[in-house]
Amino acid sequence: MISVALVGNGGIGSQDHQNTMYRPAFERHPSFELVDDEDKAEVVSVALPLAERGAAIAAAIRAGKHVLADKPMAATLAEAEEIERLAATHSVVVVPAHHQRFGAALRSATAAVRAGRVGLPWNVQCDFIVAGGDPAPTGELVNFGLYPVDVVSALLGLEVRRVHATGSPELVTLLLDHEHGVTSTIVCGRIPALRDLPPGGLAVHRYRISGSHGVLAVDATKPALRVRTTTANGPVWTGPGTVDALLDVLAAGISNGHAALGPRDAVRTQRVIEAAQRSIAVGQPVAIGAPVETGE
Amino acid sequence: MKHRSVPGEVTPVDRIGIVLVGAGFIADAHSGAIDANPRATLIGIVDADPARAAAFARKQGGIRHAPDLDSALQWPGVDAVILCTPNDTHAPLGQAVAAAGKHLLVEKPLATTVTDAQRLAAAFDQAGRVLVAAHTHRFYDYGRAVKQTIESGAIGRPVLVRLAILGGWIWPDWSAWVGDPARSGGHALHNGVHLLDLATWWLGGEPTSVYARGRKQAAAELRIYDYLEMVVTYADGATAVCEMSRAHRPGSLSQRELLVAGTEGIVEQGWDGESSLVFGESGTTTLPAAGGNGFAAQLGAWLDTIGGAPPAMPAADAVRAVALGVAVEESIATGQPVAVAA
Repeated sequence: MISVALVGNGGIGSQDHQNTMYRPAFERHPSFELVDDEDKAEVVSVALPLAERGAAIAAAIRAGKHVLADKPMAATLAEAEEIERLAATHSVVVVPAHHQRFGAALRSATAAVRAGRVGLPWNVQCDFIVAGGDPAPTGELVNFGLYPVDVVSALLGLEVRRVHATGSPELVTLLLDHEHGVTSTIVCGRIPALRDLPPGGLAVHRYRISGSHGVLAVDATKPALRVRTTTANGPVWTGPGTVDALLDVLAAGISNGHAALGPRDAVRTQRVIEAAQRSIAVGQPVAIGAPVETGE
Repeated sequence: MKHRSVPGEVTPVDRIGIVLVGAGFIADAHSGAIDANPRATLIGIVDADPARAAAFARKQGGIRHAPDLDSALQWPGVDAVILCTPNDTHAPLGQAVAAAGKHLLVEKPLATTVTDAQRLAAAFDQAGRVLVAAHTHRFYDYGRAVKQTIESGAIGRPVLVRLAILGGWIWPDWSAWVGDPARSGGHALHNGVHLLDLATWWLGGEPTSVYARGRKQAAAELRIYDYLEMVVTYADGATAVCEMSRAHRPGSLSQRELLVAGTEGIVEQGWDGESSLVFGESGTTTLPAAGGNGFAAQLGAWLDTIGGAPPAMPAADAVRAVALGVAVEESIATGQPVAVAA
């Protein structure tokens, strides 16, 4: 069993992902056990307010701990890059909580795209729209934006070269230019609560991957049952949850020394989010330079 | 209403006499709408290819035919013209219709330049005749249902439109005029205007800027973009993301997706929103529902306006669609957002 200490129960705004997401997932996972003493833990699960998060993760890495990092992993690109560097130096596993890429439909989709099922992909369209819950005081680009950006990154495996963004703090549209002339568009944000959806639930979460030889349409709110009763109407998710799958990745990473999701993914998404913020500020597309190779 | 007649026939005096110009594939949709409408009658057909004009006339039971518009405008009983010719001819032929004092339903785009579009609108305004551009999606079942849902207030103020119309290559060969940007104005003008107009009509806002990306997917040598992604920003902060594609594979793909998000709810229709599925030996295909006839509804609205009703598709909106289409082509060329004049 891998020992885990929970550090922090804050986030952006009123978020407490530690107690609503990570604690129950650790408690039910067969590879982990929760401990109270952080010094004795092999893993720390860091869900501190965003302003404190990066420094706490860096300190944990320096102490030789593996880390599950609430999203976003750090408040700035510079912080994220420092965490990536430190993790490589100290040979620990740092897994940012980009758990949406582990939805069952998206795992299949990623495998299918990477196996050429639609030929060479040339465009991805994505809607990631949450209904209800507490609006993020940072705006939803910082809060949610990394999820679909990370999924698109996983689907394509291509770096983003240019970002244009438009919209409002609640609902933003990102237009990404990737390597090889591939483009993607992500609509991301929060709308008011909708009937029969739990507050903060995903009202729309879908991807369309267009390729040289086909189209893949993914409804990432599935696999789910459709349950209708005299008092309610809604989906019931089937199979393992995305956070459970995230912990599988963490456990496997600790076991073999390298996780399938790491700080480089957080750096990659943070770079896009910050470029989108600059694009909104200047009203123009913003170029992203070639990423620095770190050997991670 | 003037008296109209076709040789050998007695036509009710309350019918609008129409000449179709351009006997291409879209003319069949318009003539079918005329046939189904008791307020309209098809007087004749014009096509630069005399044989094609004659064949169309025979198919319609022996209506008049001519190789030029000027002759047809002199035919007795002609009140109005439906123009189905290549896009670069809309402005000069439309001006001739206005000068003759006839009403005009012109295939989209209204014109291929903003200046031509504005001049055409002004000419019909001065002539006191009705000018309508065939933005037919306003009259399709889904287009009207979304508009009615928004106007009902059910989703509050709309802030986002996602609209995608996706298909495979539909044009014949390298000689197709739609593939020549000098004739079609480019794909943003040819088909993109459908979505630009529809999204703007749904949102009811004033466009302020356009950012677009285009792709030549079917062949690198294409002169038009067979895939267009057009993002319009509006004065109230709303956004429209419109995809128009003839680039998708398989070539049989025919798919429409829409999402409208408002301050109090959302409207969606996915690819399966109005189609059944056929699981056949040659693969799985969609089977669209029968639904209403958008061309018939469009014709009816044009006749209503000729009769004095407010326009369902004002000429100013058609001019705006051209301005948006031109901005799309400019944005693709420059890679930058393009401001759209209010």
